Amino acid sequence: MIFTAPVLNYTLLSPILILLGGALIGVLVEAFISKALRPITQLSITIGTLVLSLSQVWKIRNEQSMTAAMGSVVIDGPAILMQASILIISIISVFLIADTDHFTALAAALPGSDEERHSLQTGNQVTEVYPLTLFAISGMMLFPISSDLITLFVALEMLSLPLYIMAGLSRRRRLASQEAALKYFLLGAFSSAFFLFGMAYLYGYSASVTFAGIRQSVVGGSGNDILLFIGIAFLSIGLLFKVSAVPFHAWSPDVYQGAPTPVTGFMAAATKVAAFGAMLRIYYTVFANAEWSWTPMLSGIAIVTMLFGSLVAIAQRDVKRMLAYSSIAHAGFLLTGVIALNKAGLEASIFYLFAYGIATVGAFAIVTLVRDSGGEVTDLNRWKGLGKRSPWVAATFAGFLLAFAGIPLTSGFIGKFSIFSAAYESGAKGVVIVGVLSSAIAAFFYIRVIVLMFFTDPIQDGTSVEIPSVLTRITVIFSMIVTIALGVFPAPLLNVISNLGTFIR
Amino acid sequence: MMTSNSLVYLIALPLAGAVILLLAGRRSDKWGHLLATGLSAASFLVGLYQLSLMLERSNESRPVTQKLFEWISVGTFNIDAGLMLDQLSICFTLLITGVGTLIHIYSISYMSHDPDRRRFFAFLNLFIAAMLLLVLGDSYLNLYVGWEGVGLASYLLIGFWNQKPAYATASKKAFVMNRVGDMGLSFAIMIAFATMGTVSFSGVKEAASHTSTAALTGIGIMLLVAAVGKSAQFPLQAWLGDAMAGPTPVSALIHAATMVTAGVYLIIRSNFIFDAAPTAQLLVVIVGAITLMFGALIGTAKDDIKKALAASTMSQIGYMILAAGLGPVGYAFAIMHLLTHGFFKAGMFLGAGSVMHGMNDEVNMRKYGALRKFMPITFATFGLGYLAILGVPPFAGFYSKDMIIETAFNSGGIKGIIFGSVTLLGAGITAFYMTRVMTLTFTGKSRWDEEVQPHESPWLMWLPMAILAIGSVTSGYLLSNGDALVNWLSPLFGNNAEHEELLSPIIVSGLALAMVAIGVAIAFIKYSLSDVDVVAPDDVSIFTTIARQDLMQDRFNEAVFMRPGQALTAVLVKTDDAVIDGAVRGVGQIALGLGSFLRGIQTGFVRSYAALILIGAVVLVAAIWVVVQ
Amino acid sequence: MIWLSLLMALPLVGSLVVAALPKTNEKLVKQVALATTLVVMGTTIAMAVGFQRDNVELQFVEKYSWIPSFGINYALGIDGLALVLILMSTILAPVVVLAGWNEAHGGRWSIKTFYILILVLETMIIGVFTATDVFLFYVIFEAMLIPVYFLIGGYGTGERSAAAVKFLIYSLFGGLLMLASIIALYVMSGAQGGHTFDLVALSHLEMSSTTQNLLFLGFFIAFAIKAPLWPLHTWLPDAAQSATPGTSVLLLGILDKVGTFGMIRYCLTLFPDASKTFTPMILVLALISIVYGAILAIGQRDLKRLIAFTSISHFGFITMGIFAMTSQGHSGATLYMFNHGFSTAALFLVGGWMISRRGSSTISDFGGLQRVTPVMAWTFFLAGMSSLALPGLSSFVSEFLVLVGTFTRYPVHAIIATFGIVLAALYILIPVQKALHGPITPGNEDLSDLNIREKIAIAPVIAIIVALGFYPSPLLKVINPAATHVIAQLGFSDPVPNLTSEGK
Repeated sequence: MIFTAPVLNYTLLSPILILLGGALIGVLVEAFISKALRPITQLSITIGTLVLSLSQVWKIRNEQSMTAAMGSVVIDGPAILMQASILIISIISVFLIADTDHFTALAAALPGSDEERHSLQTGNQVTEVYPLTLFAISGMMLFPISSDLITLFVALEMLSLPLYIMAGLSRRRRLASQEAALKYFLLGAFSSAFFLFGMAYLYGYSASVTFAGIRQSVVGGSGNDILLFIGIAFLSIGLLFKVSAVPFHAWSPDVYQGAPTPVTGFMAAATKVAAFGAMLRIYYTVFANAEWSWTPMLSGIAIVTMLFGSLVAIAQRDVKRMLAYSSIAHAGFLLTGVIALNKAGLEASIFYLFAYGIATVGAFAIVTLVRDSGGEVTDLNRWKGLGKRSPWVAATFAGFLLAFAGIPLTSGFIGKFSIFSAAYESGAKGVVIVGVLSSAIAAFFYIRVIVLMFFTDPIQDGTSVEIPSVLTRITVIFSMIVTIALGVFPAPLLNVISNLGTFIR
Repeated sequence: MMTSNSLVYLIALPLAGAVILLLAGRRSDKWGHLLATGLSAASFLVGLYQLSLMLERSNESRPVTQKLFEWISVGTFNIDAGLMLDQLSICFTLLITGVGTLIHIYSISYMSHDPDRRRFFAFLNLFIAAMLLLVLGDSYLNLYVGWEGVGLASYLLIGFWNQKPAYATASKKAFVMNRVGDMGLSFAIMIAFATMGTVSFSGVKEAASHTSTAALTGIGIMLLVAAVGKSAQFPLQAWLGDAMAGPTPVSALIHAATMVTAGVYLIIRSNFIFDAAPTAQLLVVIVGAITLMFGALIGTAKDDIKKALAASTMSQIGYMILAAGLGPVGYAFAIMHLLTHGFFKAGMFLGAGSVMHGMNDEVNMRKYGALRKFMPITFATFGLGYLAILGVPPFAGFYSKDMIIETAFNSGGIKGIIFGSVTLLGAGITAFYMTRVMTLTFTGKSRWDEEVQPHESPWLMWLPMAILAIGSVTSGYLLSNGDALVNWLSPLFGNNAEHEELLSPIIVSGLALAMVAIGVAIAFIKYSLSDVDVVAPDDVSIFTTIARQDLMQDRFNEAVFMRPGQALTAVLVKTDDAVIDGAVRGVGQIALGLGSFLRGIQTGFVRSYAALILIGAVVLVAAIWVVVQ
Repeated sequence: MIWLSLLMALPLVGSLVVAALPKTNEKLVKQVALATTLVVMGTTIAMAVGFQRDNVELQFVEKYSWIPSFGINYALGIDGLALVLILMSTILAPVVVLAGWNEAHGGRWSIKTFYILILVLETMIIGVFTATDVFLFYVIFEAMLIPVYFLIGGYGTGERSAAAVKFLIYSLFGGLLMLASIIALYVMSGAQGGHTFDLVALSHLEMSSTTQNLLFLGFFIAFAIKAPLWPLHTWLPDAAQSATPGTSVLLLGILDKVGTFGMIRYCLTLFPDASKTFTPMILVLALISIVYGAILAIGQRDLKRLIAFTSISHFGFITMGIFAMTSQGHSGATLYMFNHGFSTAALFLVGGWMISRRGSSTISDFGGLQRVTPVMAWTFFLAGMSSLALPGLSSFVSEFLVLVGTFTRYPVHAIIATFGIVLAALYILIPVQKALHGPITPGNEDLSDLNIREKIAIAPVIAIIVALGFYPSPLLKVINPAATHVIAQLGFSDPVPNLTSEGK
């Protein structure tokens, strides 16, 4: 057989390549730079890489290509938007990660062992987290632009594996953290299996692994539909798992709670963008013509997810778990955007993803600030009277909560409005009604937190608010500004999105 | 119709007085009462001036109007703040301002020891203004303003000493029961507007002939309800007795001479409606007849001098209402009795006040007796009023009441006989209870406690009494001489159709006097010849007991309206919280419960999570399968 | 000149100035807040002068593109209805500030925050009445909840946070139903030539009667919660009981009017047919509110709750007037909104002073006030009289117009509603007797009478109540064209009396 050398369009791939490069350098740094210098070096390398990558995305913002890498990735408007969102979210998340107080001194050390104690004393730091982050990000960047199942799967694992590790790096309650990591890993593997299974069926159906190929068979309608449907179902499971849609959500509360808060924020925000990015591309392009088969399924899942997330969140006593369930509910809202299956839906979803991602990072940034001697305080009862002790932190958190609740003049409202109207336009009225109802339920627990912070008197138990580091401060302020700005003047971003918001097939 | 620019002063002067006194507050304590009296007198003079003008004009062109400004105007609902003075309202204007001024003067002395005398005079002026608006307004809605205005003034004055809970309650009772009547007035206005598109007197009068009898009957009945409320007629009479909680001058002015007669005014003012609505008219007569007896009977059993007089007022207004229900023939006599009654009843109330003044505010007649020696003037004036109300010729009541009795008899058919006899019987009972009052108070042995030193009242008090007494003597003759009043009013009521005479005036007077004589005799025997116990005896006939309790009117209201109302309120208050708000809270609870329940899925075990995913997968495939099939 | 934007900007600027002031200088903060509200009032009046009474079109119109991709505009404009309500709001604002001079002191946060919230709220109030873009209206409608929520929860008394949450959840729920309807409208407008939120454009949408009914409900329920209509009223008494008097005035006197305002501006305009369909049911609810509110008011022991329930009864009247679909009913309802603002303000403010002096809001704790604090007592009495619609006071005109207007089309309803005036006498006179009359109950002997500031604060309210009672024409002349316009648009005309031509 003849071997044809692969033709790669490096400019279009550069954002990812830069990230991978940065990650590799990071690994080398781990090996050759002295402990003392590592943190600052790693941080600057990571930030540098991300910024560089972002600038590359900016450069190629108007490019379109199916053949950037032998047809296994596609660069188009949505791809650019997804990548940009992921990068921006990652940057502010890295600012949080930089606060090493959240991470164990030595990931390898057994909890409670001498080793651990020693490493703590020597002020050891797990700077490995930076390259891991970069690897994860590059996976996320690849996920939404993949245009064949193989690449898609690779990207999926590429973004997942580092996250599994990162989830276990918490400095305090290490056992819980490691348990979370293990859960995440096992369940991730489980869902990946379904994912692969689905791939197999689809290949069986269309004798192709490229999106274009599968799409043709779907359009052509030739081939055994049963294979297609099972393929869709199992592939969806892999994706729905990542976006933590019910009933594939079970991991997220435990992991959100166990993982170091900066990582939680990063996962919650960036992973959602990546996963939904891929999902949108697949359903909007590959399966678009079989929509009669999967919309009922997705609608059902969306409804269950919205209701379940909102309802269970009411019963939560831990702020991180509460946010976890809220993010489940939001996954449900985002699914309505997928169901919409129209341009408005795509644009709305992209806007929603960005707005939600930023707000999420901001919210978790606040969570990192509320601490006592033993580290973060996530028990809601101990957030009582936060508004009295540190009004600004409380006010900002309230702001993010209101955004999640979709109160007007916050980005959340515009997002909700656009995504619901898109779904309604496509005729998914029932889903919209449920969405509206569950927003009402959701409002209830967001408001409950506000009540705790502002309308209940503080209990003196040493809970205090950390003076935020410069980087954290940047993250919080930036997220707040974006959240408000997108609520008051969303027009510019919406225009950009509607200019770029079309998949090429 | 001619217009005038000075009508507004009639109202503006006393109103200004009220405003000034209320806003100036304690600063005006020194001169407040003088200003108020002066303004009331001034208003009276304006009234006289208007009368003089009116006399100069010919019959038809006597009414004058004055448009002040556009009050309410929406769509076809256009109400001007306009005044109208005609032969009817001038009578009222002079009565109100005249008697009103006298009572102002009386009160200067009567209230001189009260720290809030200034406020009292402010309220008196407010009342005068409101009452004048009531009789001068040129549409039902303007009348309504005055109508509730006098209600307010009455409420404020009844409760003038509201630090006494009983008095406060009395004033509230009066206001609420009046509101029930006011409701009738609102209905009347609504129906009028809906069916005629206007609520001005002239407009309605014009449209009445083009309106269905049903509508007119409805309006009439509703107007009657209003009149019943304001004039303490059956079945809304219960408040008047308690209203005696107010200072006596108030009882004299508002609850004897003027406000309580507003109902009569309303009915006669609306003659064009009642004349065209026989059913309503008949109801008017019936109400009048019932109240006439009702009041008279209560009057026989009261030991509280003011309550006795109040019962009498109720009964006398019954006469007026009855007369007003007899149609054009009766209107003039109703007004005549209203005017004469204004004089003698006000006079007697002031007399009662004077007695209380001299008796340390004792109101129980059983603790009076033999007062004529101590209060000659009061005795004299009261006595003249007494003769007047009895209808002894040539005193005022003789003319007015006999006319009513006569008209009743001559109103034709069985109706005439029934109502005629009722009025006749009423006259007898009146004679009885008034004689009772007279003897218990002024004659017989003295029954008061030692510390009481009865004494005559100062001239500021007896002068008005004297003037009113003169009125009670002469007014009847003056008004009926040559049918003065009848002719004066006739232009308003159209042709005065003569009925066939059942009884001639002579016979009627004879009968009436006979009844009176009997009444007086019985009372004289019962209370003057035999001793009267200081404490009311309990071993009395069931009738007396019932009469003492105002014929159970309060018990009835309590049992039928008050208690059920309170119960309903209590129940609703509970249900609002338990049921409606409970439902709301319930929703929240359900949500929370669901949440906690679903939370159970989160066991924390990977195996169960994985199982969940597996189930999900199965369901998905199944779902798709269903869809495909 | 962009009057409306200016009006909205002024309080916002004021709030920024306040924010810039030092926390410690409370006096200055209050003075700035007061000055701001006064300026706003002045500006409003200046604008009102230029308002063309007989022009039924929207006036002072402003329109700028806000979110083009959704066809959303920043569009403002007012008709007589809106003008009257804005006047009411901007006149009440300084009154509230002056009257509640010290009511922020019991709060969780600084005086400063209190007045910032008040001023921001004033901006939103003006905005919500002037918005002519449905999306803009909704945004303000919802955003408005937040400052109120913090005003109740942060500065109220008793179960304040619970009441605040109840208020917020209730309102959010209604708001979301409305959002669903708005989304539907938006989508339909897209299908019928271009996405838009322009009120006028949307009013021409074609939709099946079923859709129209559903969307109507979405809007109406939201408004029926705002202007509490039985059985959606239970949040109001709690809120009123917990909020400070000033907040209660803003809440019951002004914000709840957004509900009745919305019924006219949005329900009737956008869904004429559905409005007609639901009129019978709404009238019944209104009637229930009138009687029910009155009866519960009679049964209350707490002064603030009592006032709240009287308002429920009054909102019943307003709603009835709106849906009677006669010019009298409609103008009456609008005038009623205005008058209710002032009589409620009087009741709450004076009641608030009584409560703060006595340290209790239980009616039976008062007694004999008329002899201890005559001025306060008589002011309260006058406020009460205006609440029971005594002729000669402003509320009588509006209440009677509503009744007459209703009677001409729905006599039975009007008759039942009229029984409300007897109940009104009870729910006012009972507290009056308990609190002002009778012997002076222990604990009240040395309450202080109104001070000069309080007198100045309440004087304009009383003045307006009395003046408009005798001379309402100026307002009616502004209201009538707008009212008749709406009626006409719905294809209604006043019933005419059928007089038989020939006399009898």
